[in-house]
Amino acid sequence: MSSSSGQSSGYDLSFKILLIGDSGVGKSSLLVSFISSSVEDLSPTIGVDFKIKTLTVGGKRLKLTIWDTAGQERFRTLNSSYYRKAQGIILVYDVTRRETFTNLSEVWSKEVELYSTNQDCVKILVGNKVDRDTERAVSREEGLALAKELGCLLLECSAKTRENVEQCFEELALKIMEAPSLLEEGSTAVKRSVLKPKQESQASQNGGCCS
Amino acid sequence: MEEEQQTFVSKARTAFHSAAAKAERVLLDFKSDREDHDKQSSPNTFTGQQPEAESPHTDENDSKLHSESKHIKWRPPHLGIKQDWQDKIKNIRRGRKEVEDTDKVGDASMAIPFYDDNLYLLNVKNDLEAKASEAMPSVEGLTAATKDPIPPSSVLKQLAIAVEAGSKAKSMKDVIASPGGSSPARERAGLSLSAVKALVLREKEDKLTSEFTSNEKVVQLINSLFDPEGDFLRRKIDSNLEETAMTSLPRDIHGAPPESLVVKLAEILGNYKTLRKMALFWCRVVAELRKLWFEEQYLPGVPQDEIPDLKSCLLYQQFQVINCCISRKRFRIIATESLDSMMMQANSDIKESTDCSAEASASPVLYARLNSGELVLRLGADHPAGDMTLLETGEPVYSPITQEGPLLTEDLIRETEEFVLRTGSVGAGCSQLLSDMQAFKAANPGCILEDFVRWHSPPDWTDNEASTEDSDVFDSGEPLSARGQLSRRMQKEGNLWRELWETSKPVPAVKQAPLFDEDLAVEGILNAFEEMHPSDLFGQLFVSLLGLGFGIAEPMLSGNSDFSKLFYDCKEYIITACQNNKLNEKVDGLVQVYETVEKMLLNPEEALKMIKQTEESTTVTGEPRSPFKRLSLIFGGKDKLLRKSVSKDQTNDEEKSGRQSFSSFFDSKSSLFGKKPPKSGSPSPSEKSSIDTGWPVV
Repeated sequence: MSSSSGQSSGYDLSFKILLIGDSGVGKSSLLVSFISSSVEDLSPTIGVDFKIKTLTVGGKRLKLTIWDTAGQERFRTLNSSYYRKAQGIILVYDVTRRETFTNLSEVWSKEVELYSTNQDCVKILVGNKVDRDTERAVSREEGLALAKELGCLLLECSAKTRENVEQCFEELALKIMEAPSLLEEGSTAVKRSVLKPKQESQASQNGGCCS
Repeated sequence: MEEEQQTFVSKARTAFHSAAAKAERVLLDFKSDREDHDKQSSPNTFTGQQPEAESPHTDENDSKLHSESKHIKWRPPHLGIKQDWQDKIKNIRRGRKEVEDTDKVGDASMAIPFYDDNLYLLNVKNDLEAKASEAMPSVEGLTAATKDPIPPSSVLKQLAIAVEAGSKAKSMKDVIASPGGSSPARERAGLSLSAVKALVLREKEDKLTSEFTSNEKVVQLINSLFDPEGDFLRRKIDSNLEETAMTSLPRDIHGAPPESLVVKLAEILGNYKTLRKMALFWCRVVAELRKLWFEEQYLPGVPQDEIPDLKSCLLYQQFQVINCCISRKRFRIIATESLDSMMMQANSDIKESTDCSAEASASPVLYARLNSGELVLRLGADHPAGDMTLLETGEPVYSPITQEGPLLTEDLIRETEEFVLRTGSVGAGCSQLLSDMQAFKAANPGCILEDFVRWHSPPDWTDNEASTEDSDVFDSGEPLSARGQLSRRMQKEGNLWRELWETSKPVPAVKQAPLFDEDLAVEGILNAFEEMHPSDLFGQLFVSLLGLGFGIAEPMLSGNSDFSKLFYDCKEYIITACQNNKLNEKVDGLVQVYETVEKMLLNPEEALKMIKQTEESTTVTGEPRSPFKRLSLIFGGKDKLLRKSVSKDQTNDEEKSGRQSFSSFFDSKSSLFGKKPPKSGSPSPSEKSSIDTGWPVV
């Protein structure tokens, strides 16, 4: 059922997406690139930030609330609460820094296992900064192998050139919609938000204002 | 005396149920004339509302029950045929071939088909004695019950009743204030009675409450529940065979770990006979939790220093937070004392060091030397940060003791997330970053932002190769950029990190304003406990106890070729049902599934027979369906009936709900037991009537 609330445009489903990975791999740039096509340098994220985007995938109007987390170790506990009920998780590494790739399996996949409360949540592996091909330290084959091990998709992209940026989020959304339990959650979230139109409208506006 | 005797004789002659007799006495208390007495008595009997009429005079009825018990003992002629009664009872039990029913009310109901005068008198006597002795669960009683492999299904059933009844109550306080009924009809009657005798009732209720909380058995249960050394309610759990399953099932159904405080609490509460007493015991538990927090004592059966496990029930998460806060308070005391003693040591060292600088270097107090040669005390330094040295002074970098983040249960996480979404606030991250900067400055005098970034966010610093050579490090003439540089994003104008750095003062973590206030957090939890809705509390306890039973049963049944298939079908059913948010509609089905598992453990022959009958029934219909699908069909139908009954008008709620519930219950039993109604049919009225008549038992 199609719903609308307050001043927001109507949407059919609402999903929560979480961006995680080492500090400096380009999580915030990836998100800003997806939202507004901006490619400027961004200050390091402090704690957590979020942005809201509405798009149409597979004939459905989706509202994505995308949480962008700071990757420093000191912020890990603070951000662990945002894993709760996330339908999609994007694990980001920097193809020019092997350490960020290694930490996906040694650190971040363990965080997902520990804090995620959604057994069906969809994960996607994203290798960023492919525009720096001469500095590449992690091959695509290695990325595919890890993606297979973690049971998720792999996409290589560049926040700077916007290569594959939209595909990351669209592929993730499509995978989420294929899971019946996640589809139900996304639909439920929309119905719930109808009951608080003022709050929802305000949230959307704030989403646009956030730096 | 004579009046009591006459009443008893009259009851014996008419063979009224004991509840009816109580109703008569209650009505007499109102001093109605004979005509009104007959008029009111008739409707009560017809609609089965005797328990409601009884409830305002619970205390009085208890005393009369005792008096009546004495009266029974004054009839020595009946003692002569005691042996005959026992023989008859044995014959009845032998004929049923079932485990003895521990519910006396049910036993009395079962005796009805075999009624005769002497047997009736004996059952009345047993009934009264059972009520007197079993009305209050005790440590001994519960300890004896742990000899059963899994908690009795009667305990789970009582929690199920409480979940359903609790969902109709407004609050826990309403349950305690309620005269004893749980249905809207009873509540209305109770209110009208209160209007008539407001003062008397108020006094009686206060008396009952204080009597309950000071009752010896209650005190003993509380002490055993919170005894950190005791093994109260501990069962044999085979942890070798299915260790993963044992830990994963409670989390799959959002329950609590086996042998945790939540599970033990569930087992105690499930042994109380009325919702009101369950509520009173919970209030007693909350009072004990306050006492433990005040005394900074850990809660037993809960980890002492773990962040909340979001896959367990909220109640368990909240217990985890309480223990974690106790750990943090203890640590802060130790850290503060350590810092204070270091500062005192430093003060005394200063006097001595004016004479000899070697003295200062020998003391355990940590110093950093500035470029000016001045020694500055390091505050809150934890351990060296690898082999890092400060860029300007060359002194070793120390990781500071830092404040820990917030302890958030699932409800607070949701609130925090909604707050961030609504306001766009990044306050939590900034507060923590500022706190870290202040702690770092206190532990590393002479540091600059670049030093902090190298420690907190290594990817934002790039070393120059030249900096690895010692001679370059100590060459004060060398410009900063020769040793390395911040990332481009960190150098960017308007970067909040630099602004925070300029703002921060050197303050060790234990002296800072707390990022997470333990006292505030625990006070919030304890208040939430006092305000917790009955259905929320009993629902979590129900699921936790369910998980315990299945967790213990799994290693016993998984290897059994006859039962493993059915067991795993039952397990799959409960996981699916519990992950749904509509627990109220499913508790009856879950109790039946639990009873099936209990039967497989305690009465395997009968369970095997049941399975074969189910298979035969399936074969006869020509539809090859798995036992799980049959279970799902049966329980699914039950849910629908319950849903319909809930939507009925309130005025008809009690009667129709009971009627449909009984009907569907019988249908389910009939289906489960296939084509042998004479044998399997007889337990149904007993079990159902025990639920119906359970409420009058106070």
